[in-house]
Amino acid sequence: MPIARFSPFELVLLQSHSQVDAATLLLQAWVLTHRNGITAGQRYRRLAQEATELVPSDHLQTLMQIAAEHDIQAVQLAAEVLRHESPHEQGMAVMHRTISVATDDGQLSLANHYILRFIADLLGLTPATLETLFEEIAGAPLTAPQDPSRDAYWREHNPAHYRRRAEREAEAERAREEAEQADARRDAERREREQASQQKKQARRDRARAKQERRQRQQEEKDQRRRRDAYERQAHDRRQREEQYRRHQSDYRDRQHQGTGGHRAQASTSPDRTLRALAVLGLSRGASRTEIRRAYRRMAQMHHPDRFVAESESRAAQASMRFQRIKKAHDYLMKTL
Amino acid sequence: MRDLYQRLSLPPKASPRQIRRAVDTCPNRALQQDADAVLTVAEHRDSYDALHATVSDISRLRARLGLSHGAHWQGSVANDFACPPDDAVGQNAALMGRVSQAATHYNRWQRLRGPWLITAAIITAACMGFAGGLALCLRLGAL
Repeated sequence: MPIARFSPFELVLLQSHSQVDAATLLLQAWVLTHRNGITAGQRYRRLAQEATELVPSDHLQTLMQIAAEHDIQAVQLAAEVLRHESPHEQGMAVMHRTISVATDDGQLSLANHYILRFIADLLGLTPATLETLFEEIAGAPLTAPQDPSRDAYWREHNPAHYRRRAEREAEAERAREEAEQADARRDAERREREQASQQKKQARRDRARAKQERRQRQQEEKDQRRRRDAYERQAHDRRQREEQYRRHQSDYRDRQHQGTGGHRAQASTSPDRTLRALAVLGLSRGASRTEIRRAYRRMAQMHHPDRFVAESESRAAQASMRFQRIKKAHDYLMKTL
Repeated sequence: MRDLYQRLSLPPKASPRQIRRAVDTCPNRALQQDADAVLTVAEHRDSYDALHATVSDISRLRARLGLSHGAHWQGSVANDFACPPDDAVGQNAALMGRVSQAATHYNRWQRLRGPWLITAAIITAACMGFAGGLALCLRLGAL
């Protein structure tokens, strides 16, 4: 059964005199790679300061390389070694050395905040112990790490970006205002044009309405004239008929006076004529006076010549004749019954 | 420190366009403002991503070492970056296993070195004899 190859850190660990030292060096290298503002050479020299004289320099190179590659398995191995092999006092020493590596320049990078806390948890140090130790070594209390996932952090750390953005926004705002002004100007021009065209349209419409009114007035005058004519003709007809009737009546009277004499009522209420008059009003024999009046009103309304004036002259004339007949029938029945 | 990618349900390798869309459709105004300030600005996003990778590594290490509930691992960091313990075995145990296995192999090799060497010498001699005979036959055939 083949064995997987030993990783570089495993080789370093197996070859070193003290596994705890090698593991501590790897964690220190890890912390150093997360320090801001130092070069690779500075990192290497700082690590060499920490290393005991028994660690060969090619091992240091290897450790720096492993840490720079963020080899999490190697870090895990180092952490396991530290946890299993170091008693509590040595743990304090390891923490001490790691903090001093992390805070040489007096400030702790955000990543090292988390790394130091991880190592403290690994070595079983309480937060109080870590804070005391940190304050002793770095000369400043250990604060909570700042939060770069918030807008406020970047406002504090990169104000230039926000200044630039504000400038850009102001520029955009200015451009938008200019565009709006141009738009407003264009709108005003368009509105003026529309108003002018509307005025023109309005004038045309006014003219058309005046013309129509004139035509209507003419039409009305014509209608009135026609109605007056029809009415006059009717009046003329009626006068003629009345005259005729009078003549007829007088003839009749004369005849009666000449003839049997005295039975005027009987003659004027001949059953035949009463029946015809009732038929004109759409009634049958034996209708009462109120029925006759009601029927007359209905018929008169239906056949009144004024209703037909609008249609044509001949219809109006016909209606006038019907109306006369109805009126006569009613008058006759009222008289006789 | 919050995991903005997780809160916007984005992969950490999301493209700027994906991020833009997620930020625009984010219903939480405060988160939207923060994500807009951090993820849509290239320089902010680079440094945030570096820290995000480190903290993710630490979270994985804590999960493997059983330190997910340490005294120094609290608050939004622990909540957002919590990852389940994976099936990676202890590196130290694995190393010890491999070292002992290598030692066994070494011992076996030391013990069987003599017979193995003799066998190899015989096989080499046989091969050489065969090759010499073949060459001689070819020479005679050619003549």
